[in-house]
Amino acid sequence: MYQFFFDLTGNVIISTLAVALVPLICVLLVTLFGVWLERKVSAWMQDRVGPNRIGPYGIFQCVADFVKMLQKEDAVSSEVDGVLYNIAPVLVFAGSFAAFAVIPFASTIIGSQVEVGLFYMLAASSFVVAGILMGGWSSNNKYSLLGSMRSAAQIISYEIPTALVVLSMVMLMGTLNLTQISEMQTGNFWHWNIFGGPGWALSKFLLIPFMVVGFIIIFISTLAEVNRTPFDIPEAESELVAGYFTEYCGMKYGMFMLAEYGNMFAVSLLVSVLFFGGYQSPVGYLGNVLGIKWLVSLEQFSWFFAKGWFFIFVQMWLRWTLPRLRVDQLMTLCWKYLIPYAVINLVIIGIISLL
Amino acid sequence: MQKDGIEFMREYLKNTWDGIYTVLVGMRITFKHLFTPAVTIQYPEVKVKLPDRVRNRLYVNIDDCIGCDQCARACPVSCIEIDTVKSIPGEDLGITSNGKKKALWVTRFDIDIAKCCYCQLCVFPCPTECIYMTDVYEFSEYERANLLYKFSALNQDEAAQKKVNYEKFQAEKEAQKAAAAAAAAKPKPETPAQPSAN
Amino acid sequence: MNYYDIMFYLFAAITLVSAWFVVTTRNVIYSAFFLLFTFFGVAGIYVLLAADFIAVVQIMVYVGGILILLLFGVMLTNQITNVDIRTGASNLLPASIATGILMGAVVSVMWFTDWKIQPTEAPTTTLKILGRLLLTDYVLVFELLGLLLLVALIGAASIARREKE
Repeated sequence: MYQFFFDLTGNVIISTLAVALVPLICVLLVTLFGVWLERKVSAWMQDRVGPNRIGPYGIFQCVADFVKMLQKEDAVSSEVDGVLYNIAPVLVFAGSFAAFAVIPFASTIIGSQVEVGLFYMLAASSFVVAGILMGGWSSNNKYSLLGSMRSAAQIISYEIPTALVVLSMVMLMGTLNLTQISEMQTGNFWHWNIFGGPGWALSKFLLIPFMVVGFIIIFISTLAEVNRTPFDIPEAESELVAGYFTEYCGMKYGMFMLAEYGNMFAVSLLVSVLFFGGYQSPVGYLGNVLGIKWLVSLEQFSWFFAKGWFFIFVQMWLRWTLPRLRVDQLMTLCWKYLIPYAVINLVIIGIISLL
Repeated sequence: MQKDGIEFMREYLKNTWDGIYTVLVGMRITFKHLFTPAVTIQYPEVKVKLPDRVRNRLYVNIDDCIGCDQCARACPVSCIEIDTVKSIPGEDLGITSNGKKKALWVTRFDIDIAKCCYCQLCVFPCPTECIYMTDVYEFSEYERANLLYKFSALNQDEAAQKKVNYEKFQAEKEAQKAAAAAAAAKPKPETPAQPSAN
Repeated sequence: MNYYDIMFYLFAAITLVSAWFVVTTRNVIYSAFFLLFTFFGVAGIYVLLAADFIAVVQIMVYVGGILILLLFGVMLTNQITNVDIRTGASNLLPASIATGILMGAVVSVMWFTDWKIQPTEAPTTTLKILGRLLLTDYVLVFELLGLLLLVALIGAASIARREKE
């Protein structure tokens, strides 16, 4: 993608910025549409109608909310720690946005083909943790502080099962490059990792149950990492007003919101890259049949987004199904259930991949 | 007490299975509700049918009002204010729908609906059943003054005119009385105390 | 001066300035947060040196693990922000002698090393080579480090756990 923009403009800085702009627009649109979908899904699941006033099916509701948010006065409490208070939302958003740099949206739409892509995505989330702690502490509010502590404890705990599952996948695929991982699962949907990867060896069929276990573990732990219900104790409305962003308003609050939905989308895409073939179509491409090159990219982009949106939908589905976990239950789930299963899964996948 | 290994393992696996299974059951329930039509109604467009005897905005059919002031006296929050002027002979005020003859001009019939507590106590005393509660419940206003409903059929000028008429009539009556008294006094000025003696 | 140079000086400036604030600021929380930017700057320099894996590990381990732990410690410690931290100078003479010797050593190493200068090339991955080396030539060190971390982990857990009656 960089090469494309470089050929177009011939300027390093402009083309770099253009490459960065693509995921930024994606994140903004995902947030706008995500907020709407969240409200609609919650309404449907509770036999309500949901937003339906602005535009067809209320689709422009979130645009109106966004405009409202932009217009809001930036009220800052006099007791906050000025510098850190202002840096925190930027850091949180930067962390969640940075993860998009390595995600391959299609075989031609890739921000950066770094070899350590998977690791980079996990590392970028640690900036989010630092930003959350910063915001919680600088707000000078006990609810913010409690929320940020809970959030940080939760994220660093759940990074372990995530990392273990990612490790088992890396062991199997032999690369950390997200593009290569996607490319390896090309072809039809039975080449996806959840179905044991490409080829028809015995190991493919042996792998399937362990892949499903790995998928469930990484889905649960990434759900916890993005602080979604049932793991939303950092922003538990009934206990801590809104958790670490209690004191924020206007566009600074908007940054936290963007980061949350950006994170949701990023982990959905990560799961679909690892287990569901990334941008690969499950059946083949119309563009290849017709011989149109750009249509293939468009199809890949659409498939990838469809997969991402499906997992976001499942996240929402879970959110409106399950009640919030208690802190000790949360830690029990992570340390006593997910991590042992992930370790056993890692060992078994290692043995199978040697076959 | 230490649980032995096999029992612990069994419980552990059962917990795992329960965790997954119960979540799936919950998800199935919410998924079904995803396709259940909404039970909420779109309020401004769709309205629930109200019961027959709802108590909402007061209405006064001023044509039937005889100005008896009973509703105002019944009101526990004093939100009704009525001023009346007596009619003068020769003025036909008409009759109410249940055949009562009207004798008073209702120059003011104000209901401050913002004060109203919707108790309906004003409705029962009304001899002509001209004050009653309607089923209108959407009457919010931006100005509180707009919630002061004036039901009187007469405008200010007319009301003033009626008052002037009545006062004039009264004055004429007084004058007549005085004249009559004077006329009566004239024939026998020397026996003023006579009637009392009779 | 090309873009790489600009980036290098940018990251170097971030690292140095934030490191300076880490040691001079009087607020422990500020120190911890400035450490974040120091780590970030160092990671940036690693990237410019084509050591992508090290850069990511730097962020993951130092920012994601150690710094968060540090902040946890600071925030959970009661009244730590009210502690009077001395950032003044004491024992000036021995300190300056020691730092002078250290500085001299570093500068002399920089000065006398025969630096190999070669034209910059597009960064290639170090991942495969690194992994192979870690599990062949340096496997003993690698395993020993793992053992050390495991011992530390078990030790910490046994210190932290409550005695059962």
